[in-house]
Amino acid sequence: MSDSNQILEEFKDKEYEFGFVTDIEMDIAPKGLNEDTIRFISAKKGEPEWLLEWRLKGYQSFLKQPEPHWQNFDLPAVDFQDISYYAAPKNQKKYESLDEVDPELLATFEKLGIPLNEQKMLAGVAVDAVFDSVSVATTYKQTLKDQGIIFCSISEAVREHPELVKKYLGSVVPHSDNIYASLNTAVFSDGSFVYIPKGVRCPMELSTYFRINAENTGQFERTLIIADEGSYVSYLEGCTAPRRDENQLHAAVVELVALGDAEIKYSTVQNWYPGDKDGKGGIYNFVTKRGICKGAHSKISWTQVETGSSITWKYPSVILQGDYSSGEFYSVAVTRNKQIADTGTKMFHIGKHTKSRIISKGISAGEGQNSYRGLVQVGAKAEFARNFTQCDSLLIGDRCGAHTFPYIESKNSTATLEHEATTSKIGEDQIFYLNQRGIDTEKAVALIVNGYAKEVLNQLPMEFAVEAQKLLSISLEGSVG
Amino acid sequence: MTDTVSLYDQFQALHAERNSGREGWLKDIREAAFNTFTELGFPTIKREDWKYTNVLPFLKEEFQVEQLHSVAFPATISDESIAGLDAHIIVLQNGRLTNAPKIKGVKIATINDAVDLGGAEEYLAKSIPVEKHPFAALNTALFEDGIVIEIEKNVQVDKPLHIIHTYNSLEAAFVQPRILVISHKHSHADIIETTKVLSNYTLFSNSVTEVYVKENAQLNHYVLQSEPATSRFVSFRQATQEKDSLYNNYTFTMPGAALVRNNLIAALKGTNVETHMFGLYLASDNQLIDNHTSVEHQQPNCFSNELYKGVLKDTSKAIFSGRIHVFQDAQKTNAFQQNNNLLLSDKATVDSKPQLEIYADDVKCSHGSTAGSFNKESLFYLQSRGIGEATARNMLVAAFAFDVTSKVKIPALRAHIEHLIEHNLTENYD
Repeated sequence: MSDSNQILEEFKDKEYEFGFVTDIEMDIAPKGLNEDTIRFISAKKGEPEWLLEWRLKGYQSFLKQPEPHWQNFDLPAVDFQDISYYAAPKNQKKYESLDEVDPELLATFEKLGIPLNEQKMLAGVAVDAVFDSVSVATTYKQTLKDQGIIFCSISEAVREHPELVKKYLGSVVPHSDNIYASLNTAVFSDGSFVYIPKGVRCPMELSTYFRINAENTGQFERTLIIADEGSYVSYLEGCTAPRRDENQLHAAVVELVALGDAEIKYSTVQNWYPGDKDGKGGIYNFVTKRGICKGAHSKISWTQVETGSSITWKYPSVILQGDYSSGEFYSVAVTRNKQIADTGTKMFHIGKHTKSRIISKGISAGEGQNSYRGLVQVGAKAEFARNFTQCDSLLIGDRCGAHTFPYIESKNSTATLEHEATTSKIGEDQIFYLNQRGIDTEKAVALIVNGYAKEVLNQLPMEFAVEAQKLLSISLEGSVG
Repeated sequence: MTDTVSLYDQFQALHAERNSGREGWLKDIREAAFNTFTELGFPTIKREDWKYTNVLPFLKEEFQVEQLHSVAFPATISDESIAGLDAHIIVLQNGRLTNAPKIKGVKIATINDAVDLGGAEEYLAKSIPVEKHPFAALNTALFEDGIVIEIEKNVQVDKPLHIIHTYNSLEAAFVQPRILVISHKHSHADIIETTKVLSNYTLFSNSVTEVYVKENAQLNHYVLQSEPATSRFVSFRQATQEKDSLYNNYTFTMPGAALVRNNLIAALKGTNVETHMFGLYLASDNQLIDNHTSVEHQQPNCFSNELYKGVLKDTSKAIFSGRIHVFQDAQKTNAFQQNNNLLLSDKATVDSKPQLEIYADDVKCSHGSTAGSFNKESLFYLQSRGIGEATARNMLVAAFAFDVTSKVKIPALRAHIEHLIEHNLTENYD
């Protein structure tokens, strides 16, 4: 035990590996939130009038909403007036090739282990790298363009494809959805926009790496993905952030729209700064993610690996409107030290024969608190709807917590809903079995945890699975309770 | 809202009257509980634990909240006893004890007598977290009388204690029955509660039952709810268990009462405690049946098991919320929970909310919840063997309920419940 305790201590004290700050001149909006700030952001980005109006609507509903109190943790007070709502690298010209990009910026990506150069040639991944709110380099645009795929920043989409943006922006997550979505609506800085035309299968995984950089700048990303009839797209989102003493608020909004027969696969690996071992610092990750299966036989799948942030609070959801549409949610959430994760999903069954599948794996270590909160709602017209939910929690150490709060609501007798959840620690017999075969305890735990999370990790695209596995191993190696 | 306002006024008057001339510990408790209730008010759907149940429409009537005991009751209630059940019968009229059978080793008294004799101070209103439960606070503040049942040390009660709640009134009535059960060390008893409403007027019952199961004691607690549609039942039951004790709760809700809201809490305050909660609800017509249960594992080495099953017909609505709360010290906890729902109508609604809240690591906890309809294959199988569809459906429902009914340990009671299920299913079956 003493050996494993030592390992546990080491793991608990592990410094955040990606903690560094890049020094680039910033164009920062003065702190504070008011209509002027919003006008400033809008003007800065040269936005049309309708978008500004929509932002202001979002601001109005933000003012009207109280902060939520139903969550299973104490919400730290966030001073919305103490945040600067806009930060952009000053040198804002467009790059045609990577050579023109600020070398320091490239070095940052290098440190993060994003092989931007390599990817271009080898990995086949087009990366829309968002560096503190403004797109710096978008690769592979040409290849995608040939297929008619639009993959650009939201600001660019507003300029070049206003009809698409106007039609779908806010159609899944309305401006008044919740306080953080309203805030995002009011001040969103930038984000990604994807449109896959009819019948096109996107030839590569689309990917955006977000990185919060400037001090005291909350990042308010807005992502909108539209898959037209019969199309397919797989989108990857990954995050790392430099270390910081003050808490940072991240309130992004992601909207997915799948039309008839379309399929969207959205994968996230989140590894933001989780705070030090006392829980000081660290990112508040309050994100609204929602997709709508608008047409028949459409499909949306969320996969997430959450290892970072001091508080992770999000429920990627799917509205299953089209008949025979299906939604999936696969999640691995790891909390350690004083990290908190309150995550899960919502599946709204509206159409007939809609299916949903939820697999959630929580791992709590140290003093981490992990909650699964999910809603499966079956409307009166959702005949033969089908849901399967499984949430498992693994506890490592006697100070952590694992909680499960599913909400199951059925208004249809032909619907079949199943939910099951288990909570346990790693069995001593399992570790003993592996020890007995010459595998040391640390490796045994890694093996068991990997096996435990396999069902979710298998859902990740190859490019991400490696990173996710690495993250899990950093997070959990040797943490024997 | 005017009606609830008048209710509040009546409560206020009653509170003033109850407390005048009384002194001592009970007054303090009632005072505090009343303040809590005044502060909280009747729960609205904005409260998480009342999210699916809007109780306010059920309160909008001119209720009479006091002096119901002047109403005459028929002399016999024999038709209410369960066929073949050999039990000690305790009858409550509008919450007041009328006959207390002499049972060796069991003390039965009214709460007011017990309070006067000084026996209840240690237990009465000591286990209930009124700040979280407005109705329990209201009952604590204003209950008129009730009964205390004490099972003495080392006593094995020979026959079940059958408590029959009878209600009668000449207008819509709001009653607040109160029961206190104390199972002393190494005792064993079975308690059965049934209800009979005699009047045709609306009845709103807000009951509180406090149960203490002491070291190594065993208590089986059966609650059977099958009342007319004019009644509304909000109940709060809390069992506080000490080490090595066993508490089994069986809650059966049959079609009838427009609103049934059961709050059941088991607080496991000792090691080696065992708790079972079994529930079966059959909802029909426009019924709303809401079961909120909570198992609090506060100490190590305890075991709890919960099984709630529901069958829904017509436009009924059922809610299940079950919570397993494992405290940080409660290592080696085994806790299980299951909720299954069978929807027989397209207009029925079920909301299920099983929850696990776990702060200890060496535990085995799981819960499961399902909602669905008949298995088509099972139905086909039976039909292919020459069984008519209606009969086949009844067989399947009976089989579904069997997991719960088979847990009833008193044969006569089990037969009675099975008969009720059968009766309620064949009647007005679509």
